[in-house]
Amino acid sequence: MIISIVSGKGGAGKTTIATSLAHILQADYYDLDVDAPNGEYFLQPENWQTETVFQPQPKIDKSLCNACGACARECRFNALYKLADRVYLNDSLCHSCNLCREVCPQGAISYKPAAIGSVRSGDSSRTGARAIIGDLRIGSTRATALIQRIVRQIDPQKPAVIDGPPGNSCTAVAAIKPAELVILVVEPTPFGIHDMLQTLKILKNLNKPLLIIANKSQDDGPLTAVLAEQGLTPAASIPLKIEHHKSLLAGEILSQSDPKIYRLLQQALTRKTGTE
Amino acid sequence: MIRQISVMSGKGGAGKTSVTAALLNLLPQVVAVDADVNASNLPILLTAQKLSESGYYGTEVAQISTESCTACGRCAEICAFAAIRQDEQRKFLVTDDCEGCAACFWICPAQSISMIPHRAGTQYLSRLENGFLLHAELIPGEDNSGKLIANIRELARKVAAEEGLDLILIDGPPGTSCQAIASLTGVDMVLAVVEESLSGLSDYQRLAQLMARFRIPHLVLVNKTGVDPELGKQIETTVTACGGEIIGRIPFDLEIPRALSRRETLLALPAYRPLLENICTRLQTSS
Repeated sequence: MIISIVSGKGGAGKTTIATSLAHILQADYYDLDVDAPNGEYFLQPENWQTETVFQPQPKIDKSLCNACGACARECRFNALYKLADRVYLNDSLCHSCNLCREVCPQGAISYKPAAIGSVRSGDSSRTGARAIIGDLRIGSTRATALIQRIVRQIDPQKPAVIDGPPGNSCTAVAAIKPAELVILVVEPTPFGIHDMLQTLKILKNLNKPLLIIANKSQDDGPLTAVLAEQGLTPAASIPLKIEHHKSLLAGEILSQSDPKIYRLLQQALTRKTGTE
Repeated sequence: MIRQISVMSGKGGAGKTSVTAALLNLLPQVVAVDADVNASNLPILLTAQKLSESGYYGTEVAQISTESCTACGRCAEICAFAAIRQDEQRKFLVTDDCEGCAACFWICPAQSISMIPHRAGTQYLSRLENGFLLHAELIPGEDNSGKLIANIRELARKVAAEEGLDLILIDGPPGTSCQAIASLTGVDMVLAVVEESLSGLSDYQRLAQLMARFRIPHLVLVNKTGVDPELGKQIETTVTACGGEIIGRIPFDLEIPRALSRRETLLALPAYRPLLENICTRLQTSS
């Protein structure tokens, strides 16, 4: 079973819950928050393997290009621009869409692999399973492409936990799509509730089974009221505690340092899936 | 000269919005931008009066006219996003994975594909007591958030120029990818809010690399400090190595999330006022 952990608001506790679930289920852990991956500080994987991820990108053959500018005119992302008698690529805007190659009357554009990041993986003795970390190259804007590439490698036969990116844009969708169960982590504050309502719209469109976990809770009242309007209830609530913050600072998995959290999460999951 | 400053962090939940809202309340005149367009929380903490709103249209998307389509399949072949599929009647159609590149539009021999406008969100201009606020709502799940950020930043520059305001303060998105880059380009300085945690430190290092790439100077406000002095020291060393300057520290204080839950800013807690006033002065003067 593939479980995706998401949250509209950043800092709600996705990594805390995702690493705990990887521990409880002895599941492979996929860090798909590729431009700010942090799961490894808790899972401490060993025997690292690294694989570079490439994405095809246009390369202009200067001996063939006559700087007619057709590619720059047609590119919908303004990734190509003409300066004097040369055409340049701004690779942070390129979507690797193949259009420029087709448009070029000189046949001067071909697609060559360019590194967008890497996938690092290792064995976590803390979960007894694999930890797979998506690591976007600094300055790259191809987070979605990297996430989709890692998602394709997930073995659906094994339990897998996906630690998703914050927000409600295309990267979040890419981390939600493969999931058979989505766990939405909500900080029950006006901010967390606002961002959760956006995420719920995505989940409704994708029609995903859903479990809501409140984290860093000072008062579940407002959250419970908003969820009730949609016929939903939080499956578990974790209070805001300095002890939890301390265990994060020590690089501990919360379900390992606090047995209460282990039981709370396990029970919430069992009620939903009827297994374990 | 209009000065632009972005509040960034790498890690989500580090305190960007809490700090930005407090600074906005202290600055004499300012244009505020909420660049976290798909989790827009800054308006929750501000008293803003909406002046106008407009639709945000990202890139156009492809549409196939089934009447003239010969089902040759060239469009599905060239699509780099696997956004064209066949339905049960084997008719080709475009799914919501379309990124609007127009490769299919260009290649279709029957000219059956058109590019149509696609609304991806809404952008808002509001009045603050001491200036203006630009913010946006991306339709959940939509693409092109970077372009929406570039749009509202452009609107902010326009408003600032027209109204004679010389400071734009941007509440940035988390992460270090497209949205963060769209919030960084062309700013004069970054105020990095760094959470004193392993994750906060790691994400700050990524952010610092990004800022170095764009040659943007930065100040650092360390948040949730005092729980692990060893980690505090490590952050200090890292900030110095990354060319930043620590401008202040906010301790781990449960009163802060309590105040935020009441929709109050850090200014509701008098102990933090001098620190915030000091940051305000630095943002307006240092280069």
